[in-house]
Amino acid sequence: MTKLLIKKAAVLGAGVMGAQIAAHLANANIPVLLFDLPAKEGPKNAIVQKALDGLKKLQPAPFASKSAMKFIDAANYDDDLEALKDCDLIIEAIAERMDWKSDLYAKISPFLNENAVVASNTSGLSINELSHALPENIRHNFCGIHFFNPPRYMNLVEIIPTKSTSAKVVDALESWLVSRLGKGVVRAFDTPNFVANRIGVFSMLAVMHHTQAYDLGFDVVDALTGPSIGRPKSATYRTADVVGLDVMAHATKTMRDTLPNDPWHKHFNPPVWIEKLIEMGALGQKTKVGIFKKVGKDILVLDLKAQDYRPSNAVVADEVAAILKIKNPSEKFAALRASNHPQAQFLWAIFRDVFHYAAVQLENIADNARDLDFAIRWGFGWAQGPFEIWQSAGWKAIAQALAEDIASGKTLSDTPLPAWVNDGRDGVHTPEGSWSAHSKTYVPRSGLAVYKHQIFKEPLLGENAKTPEASGETLYENEGVRLWKLPEVDNGIGIISIKTKMHAIGDEVLDGVIEAVKFAEANLDGAVMWHEAPFAVGANLKKVTEAIEQSRFDILAAMVEKFQRASQILKYSQVPVVTAVQGMALGGGCEFVMHATKRVIALESYIGLVEAGVGLIPAGGGCKEFAIRAADWAAKSVTPGELMNFIQPVFTNIAMAKVSTSALEAIEMGFAKDTDTILFNAHETLHVAIKEARAIADANYIPPLKARGIVVAGRGGIASLEMILMNMLKGGMISEHDYRVAKYAAIALCGGDIEGGSLVDEEWLLIQERTLFVELLKNPLTQARIKHTLETGKPLRN
Amino acid sequence: MTKQIQDAYIVSATRLPVAKKGGMYKHVRPDDMLAFAIKKAWEQAGDIDPHLIGDVVTGCAMPEAEQGMNVSRIGLLLAGLPDTVPGITINRFCSSGINAVADAANQIMLGNADVMIGAGTESMTVMPQMMGNKIAMNPIVFEKEENYGIAYGMGLTAEEVAKKWKVSREDQDAFAMASHQKAIAAIAAGHFKAEISPFAYKEHHPDLKTGQVKIVERLAENDEGPRANSSLEGLAKLRPVFNVRGSVTAGNSSQMSDGAAAVVLVSEKILKQYNLTPLARFVGFAVAGVPPEIMGIGPIAAIPKVLDRAGIKKEDLDWIELNEAFAAQSLAVMRELDLDPSKVNPLGGAIALGHPLGATGAIRAATVVHNLKRTGGKYGMVTMCIGTGMGAAGIIERL
Repeated sequence: MTKLLIKKAAVLGAGVMGAQIAAHLANANIPVLLFDLPAKEGPKNAIVQKALDGLKKLQPAPFASKSAMKFIDAANYDDDLEALKDCDLIIEAIAERMDWKSDLYAKISPFLNENAVVASNTSGLSINELSHALPENIRHNFCGIHFFNPPRYMNLVEIIPTKSTSAKVVDALESWLVSRLGKGVVRAFDTPNFVANRIGVFSMLAVMHHTQAYDLGFDVVDALTGPSIGRPKSATYRTADVVGLDVMAHATKTMRDTLPNDPWHKHFNPPVWIEKLIEMGALGQKTKVGIFKKVGKDILVLDLKAQDYRPSNAVVADEVAAILKIKNPSEKFAALRASNHPQAQFLWAIFRDVFHYAAVQLENIADNARDLDFAIRWGFGWAQGPFEIWQSAGWKAIAQALAEDIASGKTLSDTPLPAWVNDGRDGVHTPEGSWSAHSKTYVPRSGLAVYKHQIFKEPLLGENAKTPEASGETLYENEGVRLWKLPEVDNGIGIISIKTKMHAIGDEVLDGVIEAVKFAEANLDGAVMWHEAPFAVGANLKKVTEAIEQSRFDILAAMVEKFQRASQILKYSQVPVVTAVQGMALGGGCEFVMHATKRVIALESYIGLVEAGVGLIPAGGGCKEFAIRAADWAAKSVTPGELMNFIQPVFTNIAMAKVSTSALEAIEMGFAKDTDTILFNAHETLHVAIKEARAIADANYIPPLKARGIVVAGRGGIASLEMILMNMLKGGMISEHDYRVAKYAAIALCGGDIEGGSLVDEEWLLIQERTLFVELLKNPLTQARIKHTLETGKPLRN
Repeated sequence: MTKQIQDAYIVSATRLPVAKKGGMYKHVRPDDMLAFAIKKAWEQAGDIDPHLIGDVVTGCAMPEAEQGMNVSRIGLLLAGLPDTVPGITINRFCSSGINAVADAANQIMLGNADVMIGAGTESMTVMPQMMGNKIAMNPIVFEKEENYGIAYGMGLTAEEVAKKWKVSREDQDAFAMASHQKAIAAIAAGHFKAEISPFAYKEHHPDLKTGQVKIVERLAENDEGPRANSSLEGLAKLRPVFNVRGSVTAGNSSQMSDGAAAVVLVSEKILKQYNLTPLARFVGFAVAGVPPEIMGIGPIAAIPKVLDRAGIKKEDLDWIELNEAFAAQSLAVMRELDLDPSKVNPLGGAIALGHPLGATGAIRAATVVHNLKRTGGKYGMVTMCIGTGMGAAGIIERL
């Protein structure tokens, strides 16, 4: 088996994980049978049906498109086991009980297709032991496949092979997970809690231990252990609330029960106060109360001393905040350790103990340090894995500090560091590979073919891989844009990369795009527009504000006109230009996406025309493009006269500043086309975009003609939309200025104050949108919105 | 036939059970509903020669698509009436149904015809939106503020009425809940039995497993809208739909519905010729205009007008079917005209029973006719507010 052909899958267990895994399979166009126990009363599939109904309401949304849901069929173990014969992948995700799982395996075994891959989503049980419940001829196709919650969004999947799992099956499964489902795969040894949870839960236990040791409030700890140290905003205790305190306690219990010889074993107990909360039914987010509790708009935090909740008002001490701002990691860690402030001491302690634990356990749980670091990054959302942090802070210095703390009894265990830590090395990650404590070598990255599609892989500290900026041959460059190529991939396809912060679009970017496309037309076969996420957050508002402050509306008019020219040149380029999108593509970014020849879009892309938020309408061709598309859709519909049916949804997109929640939704909303390519793995976008541009170029690309004879809805259309706005205004749903902005969008979309059914050309529509845009810029309310967003990053409702 | 002013007698009035939008009539066409109502009303009228029917007047508020193409004529032909019988579709939004009955009566009163059918049909399921298949507002509306009311959605007008007539959220919710309770009790007591013709229909479904077309036979016997579990707590939780700080919710507004009804009216000559016993006499009808932005108060203008023409006082009315477009406007009308709450919608109203726009007037005419008979009351009235600011009221007398 070199390739997995999964035409149909089954997920056993419609709990939180099972149902969401089924949803993500459906996102990837894989029909799924979702099984659970037959209901004792009523329809037999009632349990699964309830889970499916729950998926519709779940946030963040497990489905990338509402239509994906219809590809999940409810099933039960009484009636539907026969249907397993058609399933090529079976993922078991029932409750964490060895006896239940074994019974289920015995039950399904007679119905399994012998080529089917069978995998358990257990987060802690022994995969080898589970495999014994399967017949011999299935075991080589069985392994652990551990998704993280929520599975659509959490990158990590751990694959845990058993002694009998065929290597080919593991390779094929990894390739399939990486490309089809877009996951980051780490292979784990079959040890309790595998890699990510073993280290991640330990880290949480260490944080809890030191919270008490240094007498810190939970809110203070969250302020300390969030983004300021490269961890998610939900930090530690908020994460525990989200995950569920019972789930946390269960993961700890698994470690306590199954790792009796772990030197840290005595710490594998949830703190007494957590057990008390669980007893009281305060399990966190799902019960609305846990370590934190929301009362009205206030967030309260549990105060152990007061045995009550108090307002959360975490303050990070100035001196600690100053240390955390130090750029050089060596200096930062030295300063943390040297400081007498309890917050600094706490931070040093939680890092130190995780370094210690990871170093000692690496050999037992993972093949190499890269796998461990990626597991924590992808499974727990850390910006860097523990070994990367250690290595960046100076391997030897940290190792020495760690040894000193072990010697003086400060660490959570007195287990000595493994010998390899002090073998003279400067780290575990090198350009040749990452350290394997298990095989005592440096292991290079996986050679699986699937990774060849990732021209720029997930970077890892110490590998010193070339960044995109340092790669390839530069063909043209200005302050805003670099046009380059990768001759080893395709010598005739240029890569247009925006260089600005967050890829905001200002004058220099517009000039750069125009010049780059001209260069490509003259010298190349095609181009892609690609850079790391986000694709682009829209126009550079700072420059807009500067011009407003000087009342230089002539500059702004020229800028918007140039914006339109840039979009138009993308659309009418004589060579194909493919945009490779990942992350946000907002405002002007969305307009670039819309105007390209074709789009290659990572599933997790958030595309929208959000100008209304700052009191503007899209004027880089966005309104124009939607007016043309609506006319095209109407012409192809059975009732060509009903242009408004197509205008209305795109008007809503613009007036409500709606952003797609996935690539699939971007197509449904009209930002992308159903002929575009969707990739589940964002690392593949550059490779695929280049291949797409090449294929289009080689098919003797014929650029489109400028649109003419565009039917517009005109004044009647504007009035019909205004009727909706009037009702919203009078109903207190929108402000006067919202009304004004939306009406301007209506005018631009309907082609201006002309008779409905009039025929216009593209230039006419461009004049409409840019004239209205400049008029809005002159409005003080729009100016206030822009200023507010620039200063706070948030929209102003005025 | 001599032309003279004469009375118009109702000899039959029947309706289908009302379905929720997208509910039990999801796959039933409005012209099929109409055909069924006409057929049943005609059967119940007695053995009259159908060639005597002067016209079939059908009310429909959105006469387009499945209910377009002069649905009245299509409905009567599908009902099996001879092709010599003409048909006309009329539209005055929510009063279309009672307007059709009144227009039919008028033809008899004027001596233009001896037999007439007044009907109504509406499937809100087939309407893609509240404004019909295509929203096409006149741009001139937005040029003058005085015309803005034309663009007001119905819910917003109800908010305006609630504000001006100070109808509280609590009162609206209590009114809504009472509507459900009265309707549930009436169904249980069988008070709708006389006016309802149970409707049997077939649906063609794909059986994806066998590849066969599966014919499903269904029978509708009761109105689908009333909720036995309606509670004040539940209603209080609903958010205002039309104004964020308003009081009009989905719970205290009428339900969107599908339904149809037909009424057969004849002259005295026909009564004698066929030896028929009339159920009632159609006494009179009036419409009146009010500002469009407070269209819900329409009955305040229409009711005194029709009472005046009929020469009776409101105290003479024993049964009032006041269409519950919104609890807010119903309460404003009742308070302003000092209507006796015990006489208004004794079996519940549109909040519970549903409001298939253009059919409602004909449906409630059937309710009045049969319930006057059941209770021994003399005068009954069907009244409602109308979009863009009008009110209508028709009076029926039991004989």
